[in-house]
Amino acid sequence: MKTSVLTLAAVAATALTGPAFADKLDDIISSGTLRCAVVLDFPPMGSRDADNNPQGFDVDYCNDLAAALGVTAEVVETTFPERIPALVSGQVDVAVASTSDTLERAKTVGFTIPYYAFENAVTANEGVEMSTWEDLKGKTVGATAGTYEAIWLEGKVKEWGEGEFRPYQNQADVFLALSQGQLDATVSTVEVAEANVDSGNFPGIKIVDKAPMVPDYVALIALREDQGLINYMNLFINQQVRTGRYAELYAKWVGEGEPASLVIPGVYR
Amino acid sequence: MFNYRFQWNQAWKRLPEMLDGAVVTMQVAVLSMVIGILLAILLTLFRRSGSRILSGIATTWVEIARNTPALFQIYMAHFGLAGLGLHLSPYQSLLLGITFNNAGYLAENFRGALKAIPDTQPRAGRSLGMSDLQAFRYIILPQMIRISFPTITNQMVWAVLMTSLGVTVGMNMDLYGVTQDLNALTFRTFELFAMAAVIFYVIVKIIQAGAWLISRRLFRY
Amino acid sequence: MFDTALTANDFLFLAKGAGMTIFVTVIAVFFGTVLGIIFGVIRYQIGPVWAAPITFVLDIFRSIPLLIQLVLAYAFLGTVLRLGLSGLTVACIVLTLYTSAYCAEIVRGGIEAVPLTLRRASRSLGMTWGQDMRNIVMPLATRVALPSWIGLALGVMKDSALVYVVQVTELLKSTQILITRLQEPLLLLMICGAFYFLISFPVARFGGYLEKRWSND
Repeated sequence: MKTSVLTLAAVAATALTGPAFADKLDDIISSGTLRCAVVLDFPPMGSRDADNNPQGFDVDYCNDLAAALGVTAEVVETTFPERIPALVSGQVDVAVASTSDTLERAKTVGFTIPYYAFENAVTANEGVEMSTWEDLKGKTVGATAGTYEAIWLEGKVKEWGEGEFRPYQNQADVFLALSQGQLDATVSTVEVAEANVDSGNFPGIKIVDKAPMVPDYVALIALREDQGLINYMNLFINQQVRTGRYAELYAKWVGEGEPASLVIPGVYR
Repeated sequence: MFNYRFQWNQAWKRLPEMLDGAVVTMQVAVLSMVIGILLAILLTLFRRSGSRILSGIATTWVEIARNTPALFQIYMAHFGLAGLGLHLSPYQSLLLGITFNNAGYLAENFRGALKAIPDTQPRAGRSLGMSDLQAFRYIILPQMIRISFPTITNQMVWAVLMTSLGVTVGMNMDLYGVTQDLNALTFRTFELFAMAAVIFYVIVKIIQAGAWLISRRLFRY
Repeated sequence: MFDTALTANDFLFLAKGAGMTIFVTVIAVFFGTVLGIIFGVIRYQIGPVWAAPITFVLDIFRSIPLLIQLVLAYAFLGTVLRLGLSGLTVACIVLTLYTSAYCAEIVRGGIEAVPLTLRRASRSLGMTWGQDMRNIVMPLATRVALPSWIGLALGVMKDSALVYVVQVTELLKSTQILITRLQEPLLLLMICGAFYFLISFPVARFGGYLEKRWSND
C-alpha cells in the first residue's frame, strides 16, 4: 500500500513537473500558432485598417516571425499597460509591441536584441508657445502610460518640480487630449508624432522639437525563462536586417530614408 | 506547476508611494460623497417641487447615472466635456464622474426612503407653522438619511472602488494609478496589484466599521 | 453631427462588441445567480459562525475594485498556475464570482424576509425542509429579492465594461478602437452610452414596476 502511494506520488510529480521543462519554442511549433501581443493604437507600428483589421510594422513583424517558424500568426491586441500581464499570464507567446529594454523590466521578462530604435519628438498644441523641448518645463504634459517616454517625462516633471504629468491609457487618448487642448504638449516617438500630425485626425497640433533622449531601443519580449525562444528570435531579428526585410518594412510603414541603426558603437551586442 | 517566483520585496519597497495614493483615493471618495449627498438632496427637492422642468432635470440625471457604466460617465467627464470646450484635469474629471454617479444612485434611494415617511408628518409640521422647506429640513431629511444610511455606506464603498477608473482619464495620483505606474516601471504585476487589493480591502473595512460606529451613536432609540 | 466617416462596417464592429457585452453578462448573471443561491442558502442554513469563511471570501469580491480583481485573476491563473486560459474565460469566471457575491447577499435578505412563524407552521403541517423551501420560502423570497436581482444583473452589464483589461473587446472597447481610427469621440461615445441606456432603462423600469406592485400586499 505504502509503495503504491509513493509510486503514485512519483508519477504525479513527474506529470506535474513535466510541462514546466517543455520548451516554449517546441510548444509554439507543435501548436501551429504564434500568439503575438501587439499594440494597435500606435501607428505606424500598429493600427487598424478601414475594416478594423490589424495592420502595421509590428503586425508584419509578427507575421514574418510566424512564417519563419512555419506556423500561423494570431495578433492579440493589448494596450501598453496590459502587454506584460498578457505575456506573463500566458495569453500570448511573445509581445511584438515596441517594448523598451530597460534593466528594471529585464528583471521580470526576457528581452531579445533590439528590433527597432525610436527617436522621440515633442508635439504641442498650436495654441501653446514652444520652440524647444526645454519649454516643456511648467506645462501640462502627458504620454501613454507604461511607455519609455512616459517614464522619462514623468521623471523630468518631478525633477523640474513644476508642471503636471498625465499618463493616458493609450496613444489615441493622449493625442485626443492634446488636440482638445487638455494637454499642452506630449512626447512620443517621431514615427507616431508624424503619423498623427499627417493623418489630419488631430487638428491644431505641431511637432516642436526632438526630445533629448538616447535612441529608444525596443525589443521583442518573451518570458524570462524561455531562452530557446529568445535565442531563436535574436537570430530572426538578425536575419530580418540581413535579408533587407527590415529596410523593406521601414519603407512600407515609416517612409523614406535610412532605417534606424540597431548597432550600438563601442560595445558587443 | 509553481515555477513563478514571487518577489514581494519589490512591492513592499513601494508601499509608501502606494499609501500616498490611498490618501488621494480616500480624498476623492469622501469629497464625491459629500457633494454627492448634497446634490442628491437637491435632486430629491427638484422631484418634489412639482415643476415639470426641475423634476425632468432630476429624472434625466438619475436615469443616466443609473443606466450607463461609471467608466463611461468618467470618460465623458474628461473627453466628452472637452469636446464642448470644457477642460477638466484628471482629478476633476474623476471627481465629477463619481459625484454624478453617487448623486444619481442616492437620489433614487432617497425617493424610496421618502415613501416610508408618512405624509401626515410634514403636514403636521406645516400646521405647526413650518415652511415647506423647514418641514423638509427638520422632519423629512433626518429620517430620510437614517433610512438610507446603509445605502449611503454602500455607496461610499462604491465611490472608493470607482476611483480605480481614474486611470482612463490620465489620473496617476490615486492608489490604482500609482500601482499602474509602478507596474510600468517594474512589470511585477501580480505582487503590486495584490498589495493594492489588500489596501483597498482595508480601506473598505475601515469605512464599514466607521459607519457601524456612527449608526450606533446617531440612531439609538 | 451627421457628417461622419462611420460606415456600415463600423456599426457591425460595434454590434459585435455589444454582442460580447451581452454574452459576458448573460454567462456571469446565470452562473453567478446559481452560485449565489447556493451560497446564500448555505450561509442562512448553517448560521453566521460556520458560514464565516464563505462570508469572508464573498466579501472580498465586494471590497476590491473589479478592475483589480480582473488583473489579479488574470495574472494569478496565468502567471502562477500557468493555465493558459483565454481572457474571455477569465472575465467570465471573475464576473461570475463577483455576481455570486452580491447575489448571495440578496438571497439571504430574501430568505430572512420570510417570517419564521410561517416556516414553522409549514414544517408543523408535515412539510419537509425541501418542501418548505420550495413551496413557502421560494415564492415569498423571490418577491422580495427579484427587484434587487434585476438591479444586480444590470449592474453586472455595466461593470462588464471593465473586462477590456483582460483583452476582451466588448462594447466600450470597440468604441475606443473606433475613436482611435475615426477621431469622433463625442458621437461614438453617445452611441455607446445610448446602447447601454436602451437595454438598462426599460429593464430597470420593469424592476421598479415589480417592486411597486409587490410591495402593496
